[in-house]
Amino acid sequence: MRWFLLIAFAISPSVLAEDLLPEQYRAGGQDALYGQALFSLHSGEYQKALGLNQALQKRRHKNTPLLKIQQATAQLGLGMSQQAKKHYKKLLTAKSSKLISHGTRAQAWFYLAKHFYNKGMWSTALQAIHQVKGGHLNPQLKDEFHFIAATLELFQGKAKQADKHILAISPQSMWAAYAFLNLAVSYTERDVHINQVDAVFEKAKMLTKYTQHPESLEDKINLMAGQFFFATGRGRSAIKHLKEVSLDGAFTSKALLTYGWALTEQWQYHDALQPWYMLKTNHSPLNQDVQETLIAIPHLLEKLNAKVMALGAFDYAGEQYEMIYKQLEESAKRLNTGEFIEPLLAQQIPDKWGAFAAIDLSLPNHPDRIYLKDVMSKSYFQGELKNLRDLHVMRSQLNSGIEQLAAFEKVQITRRDEYQQVKNDKRINLTSRQLLKLNKRYKTLRATVDKAFKNPSGVGLASEFEKNQLASFKQLNTDFKALDENGHYLQRLRRVEGVLKWALSQRYYERKKEVSKNLAILDGKIKQTRRQLKAAKLAFRSTPKSFNGFDKKVARLRTKYQQQLKRLDIVYQKQREKVGGIVKLDIKKRQKVVMDYQLQARLAAARLFDETSNKHRVVAGAEVRQ
Amino acid sequence: MAADQADLDASIETLKSEVVSLNQELFELEEQLLYPATTEFAVFVSMAAVDDFAVSAIKLTLDDQDVTSYLYSAQQVEALRRGGIQKIYISNLKPGLHKLTAEILGKDTDGRSLKRTVVADFGKARSSKYLEIKITNNEKQNRPDFAIVEWK
Repeated sequence: MRWFLLIAFAISPSVLAEDLLPEQYRAGGQDALYGQALFSLHSGEYQKALGLNQALQKRRHKNTPLLKIQQATAQLGLGMSQQAKKHYKKLLTAKSSKLISHGTRAQAWFYLAKHFYNKGMWSTALQAIHQVKGGHLNPQLKDEFHFIAATLELFQGKAKQADKHILAISPQSMWAAYAFLNLAVSYTERDVHINQVDAVFEKAKMLTKYTQHPESLEDKINLMAGQFFFATGRGRSAIKHLKEVSLDGAFTSKALLTYGWALTEQWQYHDALQPWYMLKTNHSPLNQDVQETLIAIPHLLEKLNAKVMALGAFDYAGEQYEMIYKQLEESAKRLNTGEFIEPLLAQQIPDKWGAFAAIDLSLPNHPDRIYLKDVMSKSYFQGELKNLRDLHVMRSQLNSGIEQLAAFEKVQITRRDEYQQVKNDKRINLTSRQLLKLNKRYKTLRATVDKAFKNPSGVGLASEFEKNQLASFKQLNTDFKALDENGHYLQRLRRVEGVLKWALSQRYYERKKEVSKNLAILDGKIKQTRRQLKAAKLAFRSTPKSFNGFDKKVARLRTKYQQQLKRLDIVYQKQREKVGGIVKLDIKKRQKVVMDYQLQARLAAARLFDETSNKHRVVAGAEVRQ
Repeated sequence: MAADQADLDASIETLKSEVVSLNQELFELEEQLLYPATTEFAVFVSMAAVDDFAVSAIKLTLDDQDVTSYLYSAQQVEALRRGGIQKIYISNLKPGLHKLTAEILGKDTDGRSLKRTVVADFGKARSSKYLEIKITNNEKQNRPDFAIVEWK
């Protein structure tokens, strides 16, 4: 069974990367909320999708069965598998789900099965996969369906059903390599002839070219084949496969260790030292394969009869184990003092949570980074750590929500102040008064201007002296008519009068131009003041009271957030203890293994010391005798 | 022990559900408060039944000012194809005449880059205004069509 577990988790990242949702198109042309929910769901923003879905369900949207499926899908995406399972089961078996097409139904069952498969709930996953009607399934998903079905059948020991599914997978599909790998593993458990097992492993390797990471998968297949052949006493076959594992991959350390043991089994002791030295020098002592190598090397040296070297290597191993033990103890201490899990959680991307959001395990320059990488390869720990990460992210979301509510409160206060300011503004009165004054001044001015510019000859603009002159010209004209028969005086008088009138008309045009300009300025001022008055009146009338009614909403929501935060803290502590417990147990197990190795190394060192000392004594005695 | 474990898992799930619900409530409150119905203006993007075009970016210009731009992942393009609507922009806008320009960048099935600009002149009254950038399939000419439509 451990083989199956290995395969299942090996493929889980590529499975998780897939979208979960059945093909479902938006029905309404401008159904914005539903459309946004679909967009969020299909683009993997499950939190937003679930929130919108809840809003739609509150509004009693017409597509209720579909909304329920989408809700369950988003819940799966957020790692809420228990709630999702309830929804799916209720929906897919309910009479009301007749509206759901066969294709959608098949797909929903398929994704449900896939989720339980990823969670390691094999029997539930098998029940779900049996509900999938392959004929109705989207062709793009068929290969994956057959792969999951085959794997689940193999878990239950139903080889024939599994074989049927494996044969149905297209060879060009990425799932074919995984399926043949599973088949090979199942053969190893079913006592199938070794040649046939080897052939299936080879076939799986050939098919890796259709997968996303062919080199890594090929390494994994080679390692698994090597470990299988080594375990069944076929060292040469094991060596053949193990030699093909790359030296800088994720499976290098395990491959080097097994390769060394396979060579040892073939009595090639000298050759076996090489991979183990390579493993020891290139990897951290916290790596469990290195720890095994530390004791395996002196064991091999002893076999090579290099007993003094072996004694030295056993002593060295003993010291190393002491150091590893202390390092593990320090890790356990850091776990208690909040220096291990907490820095890891602090560096996670905010708002990224749920079943599909991977945990960033990088922890640069942290003493526990190697241990963490090692322990994280265990899927149960991954699941628990993801839950803790989700709680951590939710806590920061709740805190930021409370901060946001405080900001909303400030917005409300600002808006209320603005409103009050507009309402209390005296601008309207001031502007009205100013406008009245201007209008009055304009009218007076207009009357004066009209009077002055009534006669275009410019008489209206004449000074008193000029007016007297004009009057005297009239008098003189009458007098001259009576005295001057030839009209000489009259002509001269007209010339003088003409000069004066010309000067007056010139003045008229210049002044008129100036006055028109001034009047236009005054007119502009009046218009501007009128506009200001209008705007002030409009602002007064239409000042938004958009702060109204939010006080209670904000206060109510803040209370909810605070209560939720308290509840979350309690659950967080419990989950933190759980994760801590897992790590502590793991550390203890590792320490026990290290102690066992150390004991073996010390016993072997003592034995060798005794043997080599006796030999010296025997040699020394012989020399004395001679 | 197993029961405790199950209880804890159930509590975590309940918490998750409640937090999602609370965050949705907060989101709705934020929209109501920051974008009142009298001034709200939003732009959506949709892409219906278009198989030979994948949008890669959209840039929006409102009244000759760049207001937003968005880069799409393959998953988001697929989400649009599957009937999703994306709210690409939301803000407050005063009443009057406005102009929205959308610059759409994308690739066709042969990998050729395509750039289209669509413009919409629209009037805004003292009520919400929603516009949608629609990418549809022109079956007759076998090419994608781009338009900005107003929601009534």
